[in-house]
Amino acid sequence: MTVNKRIKPASVNPLKIGQSLGGVLALQGCYRALPIIHGPQGCSAFPKALLTRHFREPIAVQTSALQEMDVIFDANRNLEEALNTVLTKHRPDIIGIIGTELMDVAGVDYQSMLKSYKRERNLRGGLAFSVTLPDFSGSLESGFSGTVEAMVDELIQQAGHRNQRSVNSRQITLLPGSFLTPGDVMEIKEMISAFGFEVITVPDISTSLSGHLLTGFSPLTRGGVPLDSMLQSLQSGLTIAIGGSMERPARRLHNAIGTPYKVFQGAMGLKASDDLLHFLHQISGEPVPLRYCWHRENLLDSMLDAHFQFAGMSVIAALEPDHLYSVSQWLDELGVEQKALITSCETPVVSGMEREVWVGDLDDAEVLGNGADLWISSSHGLAGAERIGAAFMPAGFPVWNELGAYMSTSVGYRGAMEWTNKAGNLLIRREAVRRESSVRHR
Amino acid sequence: MEPIRKDELEAKDCGSQAPKSKPCPRPKPGEAAGGCSFDGAQITLLPIMDAAHLVHGPIACAGNSWESRGTLTSGPSLSQYGFATDMSDNDIIFGGEKKLKDSIDYIAGRFAPPAIFVYSTCVTALIGEDMDAVCKEAAGRLGIPVIPVNSPGFVGSKNLGNRLAGEALLQYVIGTGEPEDDTKLGVNLIGEYNIAGEMWDIEKLMNSAGITLMSRITGDARYKEITWAHRAKVNMVVCSRALLGLAKEMESKYNIPYFEGSFYGAKETTYSLRQMAFLMNDREMERRVDRLTEREESRVIQDLRPYRKILKGKRAVLYTGGVKSWSIISALKELGIQVVGVGTNKSTDDDIARIAERVGDDTEFIPEGGASRILKTVRDRKADIMIAGGRNMYVAMKEQIPFIDINQERHRAYAGYEGLLRLAKEMTYSLANPIWKLASSPAPWDKEVPYDR
Repeated sequence: MTVNKRIKPASVNPLKIGQSLGGVLALQGCYRALPIIHGPQGCSAFPKALLTRHFREPIAVQTSALQEMDVIFDANRNLEEALNTVLTKHRPDIIGIIGTELMDVAGVDYQSMLKSYKRERNLRGGLAFSVTLPDFSGSLESGFSGTVEAMVDELIQQAGHRNQRSVNSRQITLLPGSFLTPGDVMEIKEMISAFGFEVITVPDISTSLSGHLLTGFSPLTRGGVPLDSMLQSLQSGLTIAIGGSMERPARRLHNAIGTPYKVFQGAMGLKASDDLLHFLHQISGEPVPLRYCWHRENLLDSMLDAHFQFAGMSVIAALEPDHLYSVSQWLDELGVEQKALITSCETPVVSGMEREVWVGDLDDAEVLGNGADLWISSSHGLAGAERIGAAFMPAGFPVWNELGAYMSTSVGYRGAMEWTNKAGNLLIRREAVRRESSVRHR
Repeated sequence: MEPIRKDELEAKDCGSQAPKSKPCPRPKPGEAAGGCSFDGAQITLLPIMDAAHLVHGPIACAGNSWESRGTLTSGPSLSQYGFATDMSDNDIIFGGEKKLKDSIDYIAGRFAPPAIFVYSTCVTALIGEDMDAVCKEAAGRLGIPVIPVNSPGFVGSKNLGNRLAGEALLQYVIGTGEPEDDTKLGVNLIGEYNIAGEMWDIEKLMNSAGITLMSRITGDARYKEITWAHRAKVNMVVCSRALLGLAKEMESKYNIPYFEGSFYGAKETTYSLRQMAFLMNDREMERRVDRLTEREESRVIQDLRPYRKILKGKRAVLYTGGVKSWSIISALKELGIQVVGVGTNKSTDDDIARIAERVGDDTEFIPEGGASRILKTVRDRKADIMIAGGRNMYVAMKEQIPFIDINQERHRAYAGYEGLLRLAKEMTYSLANPIWKLASSPAPWDKEVPYDR
């Protein structure tokens, strides 16, 4: 409907996470990959610390470690040094160079530098690409999808010489959005393969950030989709993108090699899950597996049980655009009042929403959501939720005050059930605390 | 213990394998680790709890870092708000000074803080924003101090940022206020950030010894108390290399003697308290400190007994980078733990000399190489536990090595006598946890015992 913005000069308690962090996250979903952030040390140290804190896993990222004089004289010398070091020491399969806003402001042309570097060194067998992700526009989500798009581009170029593309109609490329947890990606993969499809997920954080027991330290990523699977994914008969932000990479695949694509803007709640399963049922001709019919009934039953709890409740959600859309759809099904929906930046998905959306920060959430019963946002919102007396439900990125948040599932019937119960439990506990304190003060 | 100031120490005299002289090195592209100067400046200044901290630049510098530090507050929490000018591309093209001015006005009007710290970032430094002028103008107009902190990320390492923040304090804050008349003059603590509440443990100790804590620079500090830091009688630099310059400056400017000390381990704590009393030049206080430290030390020895039994002879690898290396070593030695490897990547020669003083000859120095190098040391030297910063925590978890987090993100306070006890407990629990055995044994179907029919 409308996208609003509260007028104030400064951002107070920012909701927005820099784009470059999204780029680093995307590359964690590729096997033996290494993102190199072209910028000062802090530009890689902060994302690394934050991602480590959220996923509770080591995070692979390096930096060109620029200092003042490097920016002034030749920033690309540092990048070349970084590439040399990384290539000789660790031999990654995939290198993603993420250009920060400083490179934009200083006008550094690292794209051509990378091209000539690749030509001179005769880099073959690996994938090296660059992507510009300045922090003064976009957000985590656009950084993630932008990186996937750049990666897909490079894949297409690398495979380009082989013209004859044999299409494997039983193989689907899944492009999961940045808001999906490793648990979510796993669930969607399972759903698609339950209909007899081969799934190649690009990028696949469900096999890298879900927690594994591989020993032997490596500065590269330890899981995710390998490069040859990514190349093989070009033969898929269909692309499924989850989240509106992933439409661009899907369209890129369509335009370049003709793979048809289907975008699911949300994946949360009854209707979104119905849509996905119905679609898979239609294209495969297979019946919907019995377990999903069970899950569907379980979800509906749990919603029946929980609906007393949600009666008359109001919710405030402050999340990334795609995530907000998804969560808002689920909230619609619960029948709660959506007091305010706040997101980090404007995208076609949020401007196309039927509800009013605000682009702002967590301080706006506090002001607009005053009186709300439930607050859904990243862990940064905890203090604000306490100040307005709302129950706090951590979601999105980053979440550090809850164990296993990175594995919690919100997609599919099971995910919707998990979230419904979690939100309901929080409201029950809040009610109990309130009752107790009102008795005590009487 | 005779109070001396250890300024010069020859590493080679100790007969250890101390590495050669190493000035502040340029970070190596492709292998660099650790934060930038902006990060460092915030570490030093964010614990000033009632001040507002505004980051002038694109969103990520503030957005990716606010609320990520374990520094605690006993009251005001304005410094836990994340303020950023969130520059867009238009602001960068046309200049962000107007936005900065408006932001300062907005914060001053809405939150009425005693002071606003404004941080520059790489982008604003590069496009030449005149932050100092904007701050000066705003300070004059609003009647509160607005302090520019010129420590953009690309000028150097985290340590440099700490130092630049110290310089900002010296230039704009210290000496601008006077304590109330009946305040007893005492000691400043420099470089103690109240991580996990360590400042409170230290404060309690100082109180029971009758030593007044004047200004906390900056753990759980209020802006006001830092303005009168120049009236203190003694400065103590709490294991922080980067703020040594601040203490030195204060010595030459205000004639305040300083010493370096630490509160990790009973011996170091005792030494620090005694040194305070000694420099205060107060016999009565010295006697009180002696009584207190004797009592506390004997109590802690008593309390530690069960844990020492378990910890004795255990081997640890220590990788904290900074100055903490040497101070933690003393604490570990008191617990009977042998330090078999110690990281020196961010230590200066001075620190290394102090480490060499405290460890045995067979301790390995890890000058660089990051996580893989530490893990190699852990394996080679058969260490039982790894003590490092949070960034390396999950590296250790993957290798199934017991781990203690020692850096600024941690949740346990290890300072003072109580802290030593807590450290001992924490290590015992970590070593005794059943997970190490469970995680290292294979699933039953992977055990290579053929099924016997």
